[in-house]
Amino acid sequence: MAELLLILISAIFVNNFVLARFLGICPFLGVSKKVETALGMGMAVTFVMTVATVVTWFIQYFVLIPFGIEYLQTIAFILVIASLVQLVEMVIQKTSPVLYQSLGIFLPLITTNCAVLGLAVLNIQKEYSFLEGIVFALGAAIGFTLAMILFAGLRERVDLCPVPKSFRGTAIALVTAGLLSLAFMGFAGLVKG
Amino acid sequence: MLAAIISLGAIGLFAALALGLAAKKFAVEVDPRELAILELLPGANCGACGYPGCSGYAKMVVGGDKIAATCPPGGSSVMDKIANIMGFAPITTEPKVAVVICQGDNRKAKDKYRYLGLADCQAAQKVADGPKQCPGGCLGLGTCARVCPFGAIEMTADNLAVISRKKCTGCGKCVASCPRKVIRMAPLDATTHVLCNSHDKGALVRKYCEIGCIACQICKKQVPEAYEIENFLATVVYEHYDKAPAAVEKCPTKCIRDFMISYPEGSSFAEATVPLRKKDEAA
Amino acid sequence: MTTSRLKTFPGGLHPADNKLWTATSPIENVPLPEELIIPLSQHIGAPADACVDVGDQVKKGQVVGSAKGFVSVPVHASTSGEVVAVEPRLHPSGRMLPAVVIRPDGADAWREDLPKGDPELLTADEIRDRLRDAGIVGMGGATFPAHVKLSPPEEKPIDTLIINGVECEPYLTADHRLMLEEPDRVLRGVAILRKVLSVDTVCIGIEANKPDAIALMTEKCAGSGVEVIPLEVKYPQGAEKQLILAITGREVPSGGLPMEVGVVVQNVGTAAAVADAIIDGMPLIERICTVTGSGVVAQKNLRIRVGTPLQHLVDQCGGLNGEPAKLIMGGPMMGMAQLSLDVPATRGTSGLLIFREGDVPLVEEGPCIRCARCVRACPANLLPTTIAAYTRLDMFDEAEGYNAMDCIECGCCSYSCPSFIPLVQSLRHAKGAILEKRRKMS
Repeated sequence: MAELLLILISAIFVNNFVLARFLGICPFLGVSKKVETALGMGMAVTFVMTVATVVTWFIQYFVLIPFGIEYLQTIAFILVIASLVQLVEMVIQKTSPVLYQSLGIFLPLITTNCAVLGLAVLNIQKEYSFLEGIVFALGAAIGFTLAMILFAGLRERVDLCPVPKSFRGTAIALVTAGLLSLAFMGFAGLVKG
Repeated sequence: MLAAIISLGAIGLFAALALGLAAKKFAVEVDPRELAILELLPGANCGACGYPGCSGYAKMVVGGDKIAATCPPGGSSVMDKIANIMGFAPITTEPKVAVVICQGDNRKAKDKYRYLGLADCQAAQKVADGPKQCPGGCLGLGTCARVCPFGAIEMTADNLAVISRKKCTGCGKCVASCPRKVIRMAPLDATTHVLCNSHDKGALVRKYCEIGCIACQICKKQVPEAYEIENFLATVVYEHYDKAPAAVEKCPTKCIRDFMISYPEGSSFAEATVPLRKKDEAA
Repeated sequence: MTTSRLKTFPGGLHPADNKLWTATSPIENVPLPEELIIPLSQHIGAPADACVDVGDQVKKGQVVGSAKGFVSVPVHASTSGEVVAVEPRLHPSGRMLPAVVIRPDGADAWREDLPKGDPELLTADEIRDRLRDAGIVGMGGATFPAHVKLSPPEEKPIDTLIINGVECEPYLTADHRLMLEEPDRVLRGVAILRKVLSVDTVCIGIEANKPDAIALMTEKCAGSGVEVIPLEVKYPQGAEKQLILAITGREVPSGGLPMEVGVVVQNVGTAAAVADAIIDGMPLIERICTVTGSGVVAQKNLRIRVGTPLQHLVDQCGGLNGEPAKLIMGGPMMGMAQLSLDVPATRGTSGLLIFREGDVPLVEEGPCIRCARCVRACPANLLPTTIAAYTRLDMFDEAEGYNAMDCIECGCCSYSCPSFIPLVQSLRHAKGAILEKRRKMS
């Protein structure tokens, strides 16, 4: 149990996917102008990450290893994750238009998101068990959402500031992201992970 | 090797089947014409058509049996294509641009008090009807330039709004944002305008503005059909815009301007004086 | 000092009150000017309709503009004379608005049929109607028709009447002098207001910097059940919602009116005008106004006729002292800057402030340095700097989310800002834009 908690904490804070591993930077910069959309993106990523972990874990241990083709891991994972997200998108669009309105627009952005693929690969590298893998995915997703919301909150405040002309827009966003990342470096050493 | 091909192929096949089935089972009807129209639209979401954004406009066109509103930024070329997609009779649209009918910048027009407040025309207008002595003149605080989705409005160094006839798409957002109604929509072909918005009598206008219309009637005498004077202010009759330039040189206060020849003083849009008339384009 | 025990509200600030200039000068009557300009819009609500024509002879107290709608009051001639014009004239708002111009005949004759009455015999409804006919509005400066405030809907029972003698605006001493010189007139009006609302609890709130007024009012109120409450010297102690919070401890809810917490607030000047209107039948044609500032030769409290051009008031005070840089009608915090001295005084003109260059800061604004002085000073507990920043970006939804609509426009934020950012103007602009949007939505 303590082991699982450590994996969770480690994935959220110490090895935050966005701010420490620098994975999933494109949605981090792209959909972080407002807290609301950042939250929507975070929810979508959480969902996809958890489902992707489950599926890739099965692919790894029931297809790739038995057939001895672990070297095709990346291709197989991309294939599976991409089609999975597509599938989920279609299902949501049909079954719940409301959810699709709030979540669906972010799904295509995640199909080939490096954070999702990175998570699946890391999961295998670290040789996590199925349960550990799910907890790790959850932690990574919560960490991603946290980073998104913090950053969106910061950007909303930066919008109100008299930023020098040459720094406006993406430039100041990148500076802010760097500072936020620096702040998260403070968690290093909190948990071995 | 064989195992690799077979297993990956199987995964791929499975995924393809699942997706294919899902696409059938969970298909959501989207009118392809709506998407095609959305592609055509400028995508500025300016709201000039009266619908919420370009997607709202596309929905309206597909949902109705005729085109209930035009897309001013898109102009006639876009409207023709939309009519083509829908199989409707083409709508003729007259391209319009917005014109600031004032040249009274800080140096030419006098203020009635010193305004030290929020740099917003609507806010300034609430303070004793604005700092300009002229009741209709441009306040020069740049509210229109901020709302323009196309970057077509610039503020000169002496605080006068000038609209580029090249960049303006005629969406009319600036017209709605101006508290003094000094921006007017006019046909693109009409390049000559009386740039004054004061209905005060000539003697009074002279007191506060060097470049205002004093209703001297000279332009009307020169080209009677192209100008009319109402309430001490001359305006160009846009039906006869082609005859209007003849009076430009005669105006004693130089408040009539032909944008074919020059823009108001201090504007950087001078490059836009290349021929803009439809006839020239066709020729 | 016992200031810490005095009642007050959170926030606010202490501008130099500069009341010594006029606090001891008795009220002086002003001779009639050559021309009275009586604006038809002198109250919040629909302006009155002119009901006289050029050339008509009018008597003092005669209606020259009739009320239009419920939230509106008629306008009266301030003296007898001839109507010489009914035309747009420069109004204190800075616009050209319709006004009736009267040339006094010098007789100053009242109209004969003044509706004198005994407040004991009149019913509450009759009193309300008479107040409306007499054109009684809030004299603190907001000029809200008094009969509307005194007609609370039945589901909102009123249990407390607060008489506002705070006069927290710096420089102004008109209410102070009124309480000192005519306390009986004020208290007669208080008794009438009390009867209309049929309330038991009546308080008169007075800022502690007027000890003589507090002492006199306490003495006069003894035994009448009216309580005089000294309040901490702090701006905006006299703002309606802040006054209610200080005296009753009740907070008017966001977006609500004082009647939601069972309170009606009326100014001392309004109370005096109510007494005149009911007992003597006199409509509201005169008021007390403080003319002060470095730009006049002698600072005075004057009893002025509605419609007197400001220039005439300045002449009564020995004329201008040097070149004026800023004219303010009302108090320095919430008053309105004026374009010229040709503007007439209205029912809401509690003061005329004239400043010379050097006495008023005419400074360009600087950047916000996040000192949060405006936040500390805001009596409505808002974040003025944040709302102003959103206003600048035309993000009015966000401004509304920060409760911009609860701003009382007291000006504490602008006063406290070391960078001279026009905060209160931004808030007012945001309020206007939000109201506009709400109108469009509905």
